[in-house]
Amino acid sequence: MYQPMLFVHWKQARLLLVPFVVAAFGLPLMVVQGLGSGPEGGAVAMNAYLMVNGYQTWLPMFPLLAAGVGAVIALTAWNWDHQQSHVYALSLPLARWEYVMLKMGAGVALVLVPGVALWLGAHVAAASVELPAGFQMYPNQLALRFVLASLVAYALLFSLASGTIKTTVWIVTGVILFFFVGDAVSTGLGTVIPFFRDYNIATEAAKWFVSVGGPFEVFTGNWTLIDV
Amino acid sequence: MSNSIELTDVGCKSFELRDLSLRVPTGSIYGFLGPNGSGKTTTIRMFMGMMKPDRGEISVLGRAVPKELPRILARVGFVPERPHVYPALSVAEAIRYHSSFYPLWDQSWADELVTRLGLDPARKIARLSKGETGKLLLLLALAQRPDLLVLDEPTDGLDPVVRRDVLTAVLDYVSETSATVFISSHLVHELERICDWVGVLDHGQLVAELPMQSFKNGIKRIRVADAPDVPGDTPFVILGRSQGDAFTSVETWTVRGWQDPMRQYFEGVGATLRDVIDLDLEEGFVELLRSSRPNNHHRS
Repeated sequence: MYQPMLFVHWKQARLLLVPFVVAAFGLPLMVVQGLGSGPEGGAVAMNAYLMVNGYQTWLPMFPLLAAGVGAVIALTAWNWDHQQSHVYALSLPLARWEYVMLKMGAGVALVLVPGVALWLGAHVAAASVELPAGFQMYPNQLALRFVLASLVAYALLFSLASGTIKTTVWIVTGVILFFFVGDAVSTGLGTVIPFFRDYNIATEAAKWFVSVGGPFEVFTGNWTLIDV
Repeated sequence: MSNSIELTDVGCKSFELRDLSLRVPTGSIYGFLGPNGSGKTTTIRMFMGMMKPDRGEISVLGRAVPKELPRILARVGFVPERPHVYPALSVAEAIRYHSSFYPLWDQSWADELVTRLGLDPARKIARLSKGETGKLLLLLALAQRPDLLVLDEPTDGLDPVVRRDVLTAVLDYVSETSATVFISSHLVHELERICDWVGVLDHGQLVAELPMQSFKNGIKRIRVADAPDVPGDTPFVILGRSQGDAFTSVETWTVRGWQDPMRQYFEGVGATLRDVIDLDLEEGFVELLRSSRPNNHHRS
């Protein structure tokens, strides 16, 4: 059952995935591109200043790309089912959780496609530069982080997209309200309680989401292709 | 007699099903009649486990819904009102996908049906005509070798040739396997030819459920002279009464459950039975619906 489910998901997502796969392969190459020519026209000799600058220019693109991959795969997972009001899915002889898990699993396999493209691109990029002393390439780690970030985005959006529009609107509204109310309450309390002058519930919650141990830490961590 | 589908006092506020009880005998071809919006599709969704009733009990093929749903659905072939297969797949891909969920899938028969129904395996579902889509849905339902076929308006909007192909395929399957068929439609003539049981639904309520033969033979229009104002305890059900013109005392009654010996009733109440007119199924269906509606006036 898994294989046909994967095939159906692939059929639906493949065209949308093409630009992401191309970008995933090309992005590591862009990181090292234009940083000067090597003495023998082969591997590029880089100096530390250029490398750090180039690296930082492209850095935000990796998590954005990962989020995009997750979003495309999650939305295409449910698109046809939503269009048919889930009648087909509900008429199949599977427990609902089993169907959801098969669908989820199919998406996980698809996340690997741009992940592998990025891994290949990162290796090609690594082979095309000559690093200054003390620096190293981390193509495997970068690809792994990319796949993990894509999976986080996929899992989040898959669960949101699996529900009705009403449910999704409720959840998203709830999150937005939490931040607005948290901010307003903290500001209000700050006028009365000194502790809240330096402590904002909304800001702290946002920090927790992206800090070490938070669910979105993988997006804000170190996207390392080149490092010491 | 065992039942393939049993609904007991099923109710659903949001879809106005009111204490619906329904029995579909095993091995029957059960026609589920009702006007548009009467609740036919909702009823099907209830016993297919797609919607949860507010109250009541449902069992299909002897198993409880929704508790044993996957085991039930493995033995049920379903053709929904609107096409539900994924449009970007080709016919062959849809068949392959569908077959992977059904342990009793009969691939050789599926291949035979593809040829017999004139489907092109390489064609995308999005490019199929309505008739071809209907045939594909039926193929998917039949090739899984179901014990119960549930067809929701399967021939609605199809041309007569395709309609015949579809119904012939169903009848061939039934004659070969003795499967139960539950077929919902508002096309009365279509069901008249193939069904041996009929249930009539109107405004979420089952108005009648009986063998097709009784339904067809039992609904009559009779002309009664000197009819009593209050008919009293009649051996048949009066669905409607209408007076003739102002110069005669002959009334026309539409009755259900009619049998010839019931003529004696009229002698007993001082009336005279002038005529007994056969109604076809459609007329009977219309009269039945008229009589079941709350604003019906028995005497017009």
